[in-house]
Amino acid sequence: MAKISDISKEKYKYLAKLEQMFLTCISCGDCREAVDITADPPKDGVCVAREHTSGFEPFFSRGKMQIIRSIWQGKLSLSKDLAEVFYQCPTCNACSETCAYDMDNATVYEALRAELVEAGCGLESHASMNQAMVDLFNPYGRDNKQKGNWIEQLDFIIKNAITEKAEILYFVGCTAALTPEIQSVALNTVKVLKKMNVDFAVLGEHEVCCGSVAMRTGDRRAFNSVSSKNREIFEKCGIKTIITSCAGCYRTLKIDYADILKELEIEILHTIEFIHRISLEKTIPLKNLELNVTYHDPCHTGRHTGLYEEPRDILRRIANLTEMKNIKENAKCCGAGGGVKKGFPELSLEIAKSRIKEAEETGTDYIVSICPFCYRNLSDAIKALNSKIKMIDLLELINQALK
Amino acid sequence: MSKIESAYKEIEKFIGPDFISNKDFVKAAYSRNVDPAFPDRWADMIVRPESPKEVSEIVKIANKYKIPIVPRGGGADLVGGAATDEGILIDLTRMNRILEINEDNFYCIVETGVTWGALVSELYKKDLTTGILGPGSGYSATIGGGLSNSTAGFGSTKYGLVPDICLGVEVVLPNPKGAIIKTGAASNKYAEPICRYGVAPDFTGLFMGSVGTLGIITKAFLRLVPNSPYKIRKNYMLNSDDYTILFQLMNKLQREVRDGLHDLYITPKMILDLLSTFVKKEDKPPKRPRIKGPVLMFILEAFDERILDVYIEQVDEIMKDHARPFEWTEIDTSYDLTKDWKMNLKFPYNYFNKFIALIPGRISCTTCHKVPIASMAEKKQLSTEFDITHQSEFPPWSMAAFASSIHLLPNGHCVFAGGFNAENREDQRDASMKLWHKKVRAQVRYGGIHYWLGESISQSIVESGAYTPEFIQFFKDIKKAVDPNFLLSPKKFHMYNYEDNLSKYVVNNE
Repeated sequence: MAKISDISKEKYKYLAKLEQMFLTCISCGDCREAVDITADPPKDGVCVAREHTSGFEPFFSRGKMQIIRSIWQGKLSLSKDLAEVFYQCPTCNACSETCAYDMDNATVYEALRAELVEAGCGLESHASMNQAMVDLFNPYGRDNKQKGNWIEQLDFIIKNAITEKAEILYFVGCTAALTPEIQSVALNTVKVLKKMNVDFAVLGEHEVCCGSVAMRTGDRRAFNSVSSKNREIFEKCGIKTIITSCAGCYRTLKIDYADILKELEIEILHTIEFIHRISLEKTIPLKNLELNVTYHDPCHTGRHTGLYEEPRDILRRIANLTEMKNIKENAKCCGAGGGVKKGFPELSLEIAKSRIKEAEETGTDYIVSICPFCYRNLSDAIKALNSKIKMIDLLELINQALK
Repeated sequence: MSKIESAYKEIEKFIGPDFISNKDFVKAAYSRNVDPAFPDRWADMIVRPESPKEVSEIVKIANKYKIPIVPRGGGADLVGGAATDEGILIDLTRMNRILEINEDNFYCIVETGVTWGALVSELYKKDLTTGILGPGSGYSATIGGGLSNSTAGFGSTKYGLVPDICLGVEVVLPNPKGAIIKTGAASNKYAEPICRYGVAPDFTGLFMGSVGTLGIITKAFLRLVPNSPYKIRKNYMLNSDDYTILFQLMNKLQREVRDGLHDLYITPKMILDLLSTFVKKEDKPPKRPRIKGPVLMFILEAFDERILDVYIEQVDEIMKDHARPFEWTEIDTSYDLTKDWKMNLKFPYNYFNKFIALIPGRISCTTCHKVPIASMAEKKQLSTEFDITHQSEFPPWSMAAFASSIHLLPNGHCVFAGGFNAENREDQRDASMKLWHKKVRAQVRYGGIHYWLGESISQSIVESGAYTPEFIQFFKDIKKAVDPNFLLSPKKFHMYNYEDNLSKYVVNNE
């Protein structure tokens, strides 16, 4: 008779790869609400999903790990009911940060989501989004030609990576390219790059979604479809470096495309990382704008990839930075990621409202970030709260600060 | 409609649909604590009340339908105390408010679902502390769990166990009326909860270490002390693996340093040997570590830097003939030097993680117990003999130690913290559970005093025959007085009903 684990390995191919990881959880529960004023930075709770739901154990990591273990042991089946809970997690990985055993929880959840999708238990709202990504190359279901619209607002010409040679590709990302209110991120990025005399190109209407939302929501078929397409494009363009001003694209390209980019010998940098590097190398003068700002760490540039100091270093040079209570490794998620905004917009908004309230406590005028998706969700929260604080992308400030 | 369904509907009416669940995946999520031996246990329903009143209503309904109830705090329990395979599991973590920090009179009032990390963090803002910082799982463990398990933790060398700082509690009794009472000074409805003793018999003590068998603690009144600004950590390695010398040193430290000792933890030589084999290649020291004896880790504290210097001198003087200063970097270069150490909450709250799962995936069947310091050498010997004699009964790849860590308590006793580890696998559970009970019975019989009793340890004590018939009768009488239907935390102490004769659980001829 086959052992349960052998049956599970056969049945759950994505979880099988992570068996050792999820079986390592000892159920200590530190991932529930660790509070520690002595930590550097201080820690005031962990799981935003737990904080904004009924708070039962399935809403934070220990419960999720126990559920996954039960599925693995054949005691539970995948179901739509179960999916409802797993998809209310923004995969911010704050639980991983607090784990004494260094579990990469988000990776485990993504594997479980992949199993849910393959079992037909994924969310309908995610399925249509991911199908659009495959069919139209963006998850918004828009004609991908519109990805070039923002370029028309420029009063200078930028290179097209398909037709012109450039070693650096600016990968704009679907949200900044297709959302009129957030196109300023793309516009400011290219203005800054131009001011810094960077030779770069963009893909415009040929830019294919990186597949972040597909990966985060467990649709591996959609992810594989766009990632192989992107591989072809990157190779064809002969680029050496990809820079992106989207935290989601950055995390996806850096971690989920790691093998592809290594093979193609392409370096991936967040725009802020890139600008920080250049500004140090070339000692580019930045003027202080005398604005009072606070900074929100996107999960994908923070906990997922460790980019904490570069944005702060730049911000301190161009503005007066006051930190929020929960920052860096312990920053609270904006609530948009992991497919939560699409699947559970109300929950997503509630989480974002908490973050805005935290920002308001600093008494600053602006909340700055480096992620178009955080930008969008936090802007929604500002509107819902009728808050006086203003959302701004760091690139916009840098553009203003560059003489 | 079954009685479970009826109870569910009645509870749902007042608690609301968001805070009660009988979904399978929710039951699965609550099916374990931190141990490898218990099977997954699915309660019939899980509820998350937000007030003593709601807890009381749940208790009334449980009594109406004769359904067992088990309270659960942080769920960081190591001995099977906070999960159940039947009835209502009450998750108390929604009751997590700090109601008052009284800086004038040095006490606080908290709901028992608040975590130790949250409370201590709040107190530190006011330069106050509970002294004992709660159990090693303080980021997730709740105040209620600490009281119900009579827990030791960092700070215990000086400040004692968690019940030692408890001035009283608010408890929902498991009787059909779900009566809510207060103990200590708070039982005088005109008084502030300033002290534990005086107004009536010490009924607070009934609920300390009762592992949820006598009542559901919903509020606690805790004693506070100023947080000392000066703390330092020092390590010494004993020149020999001699527990008679270790006892003499501990005795002397208690006599001479006393209040300066915030903590004294001892890592046995065999654990040091083991840890040195687990060091990552890149963190190995250039020289092979010379481990001759156990390592003593002191945390010294004072309110005046000059007094701290005196304590340091005293410790140096006591240790100089038998030990040498030690740095963990001699074993693992990734550790911090003691000079760079600062007291923070991560240190005590992550300290035991390396012992609970020495090898990831294998979790400790914990047997922490207290012994007199003068008998450490003898108990070490007896414990080691047990492990050798029963070697063939241990799960595959299991490691056992008489103690992973020894912690000095305020007078002449210490905790042997340890156990043996096993995998969280169905095919190992029976063997692990049997051995766990047997090992605890052996420890009880050599005079060990266990404190987190949960289900496994409390049963093992009964099985050892340690309790006299008179004591058992007294315990049952009290249980019957507060819980006439024997619904609260069944199975603990093998106590299922009033008529049952506990002597039948005694395991003889061992």
